[in-house]
Amino acid sequence: MTTIPATERPVGVDIQESETNRAVIEAIEADNADCTVRHMPGLVRVQAPGRLVINAESVTARLGRDWETHEFQLAIISYFGHIKEWDDDEIVIAWDH
Amino acid sequence: MQFELRTQVIEPPRKTFQHLVDRYGDRPASRYEEGTIDVQATANFHYRPLWAPDKEIYDPSWTAFLLEDPYSFTDPRQFYYAPYVTSRSEMHEAFGSTLDYLEKRGLLDRLPDSWATLIQELVLPLRHYEAAAQMNCANGCRFGYGTSITQCLGYAAFDRIGNAQILSRAGISFGGGTAEPLDVAKRDWLEEGTLQPLRKLTEEMLVEKDWGVGFITLDITDQLLYGLFYNHLDEVALMGGAGSYSLLAQHLSGWFTDQRRWVDALYKAWIADPTHGPANAALLGQVADKALADALAAVRPIAARADELVGGGCTAALEATAASVRSALAAAGATLQEA
Repeated sequence: MTTIPATERPVGVDIQESETNRAVIEAIEADNADCTVRHMPGLVRVQAPGRLVINAESVTARLGRDWETHEFQLAIISYFGHIKEWDDDEIVIAWDH
Repeated sequence: MQFELRTQVIEPPRKTFQHLVDRYGDRPASRYEEGTIDVQATANFHYRPLWAPDKEIYDPSWTAFLLEDPYSFTDPRQFYYAPYVTSRSEMHEAFGSTLDYLEKRGLLDRLPDSWATLIQELVLPLRHYEAAAQMNCANGCRFGYGTSITQCLGYAAFDRIGNAQILSRAGISFGGGTAEPLDVAKRDWLEEGTLQPLRKLTEEMLVEKDWGVGFITLDITDQLLYGLFYNHLDEVALMGGAGSYSLLAQHLSGWFTDQRRWVDALYKAWIADPTHGPANAALLGQVADKALADALAAVRPIAARADELVGGGCTAALEATAASVRSALAAAGATLQEA
């Protein structure tokens, strides 16, 4: 079996589609140039090779109010990858190996 | 028996209104965009106002500050009715609980005499300033062009009535449940020498024909007054044993931070406009120069009286605020003349 290196194996999140979460999705799209977005009924899957970043600052700019990274808990349905970082300013999802 | 689960995506025939698709492409629009962009009536006005036959009833030329596309400015807070109301009800509830706390412990009665005088003489009369600011913003809401702008001005007008109410409630509580301090404050607003320059300026703003000019003057006066009363005196109060003043002031300074977000964005949009930008920048500089001079002259006697009462270098703080307002406007790109 061939393994895809961790830098290319896809990581991603499923985000519930709602008014607030749309800003989160737009922010992810803007910050991750190589991500793909798939709309499904009621949810949106955002996926990128190797690494996905969610910046609190970009979400805040789109949402028009302060957005804190813990609010991401309420937005997501599922994710795949490993949460590398969960700070006040950004969340990084990537594979360890 | 095996089931195969599949998701079937049904593409909606359209994601949002056509005018939003034309502007932003075919993507789902936010509630703010749907309730704001291109809502301004632009055609079929039929009759021109008898009192201004050179203009339509909604006309960009009601102010000299023009935007090629009025929707190049959008509210950074993205307020439409629902989030606006939610945010303000939270604000007033927070104020209510502060006031409850102050009343329960009788903290307003225990204010040092000098601070009680300051609240009675200088702070409570400002509710009439807030009421005038409400009319000023409502005027902008009527004569502005572009819903993104008029919406902000409309909410700002509601806010000012709210602020006047905050001051009134504080005043009633301060008078132990009677409106006596408010009556005195009204008399002071009309007669007390210290307040007359500010009242004059406030009334001049109300008769200003150009809503843009009137509003900028209001905003600059706001920056000086809010800087003095709800930022600087807040600090002084904490040092001077008048913690309850600070508890009240935080609500108004918090509101003003929120107000600044959209006003600064509007200035930025005026200056950045591709066609009218340079003219707007020059005009903004000119209006700001005059407004700063007038507002300083109007607020100086008030700062001087505050210094007499509680000290704390109010006059110096006022001059410093004026200097920082000037440099902030210059940094934003407005061309101010006086150094």
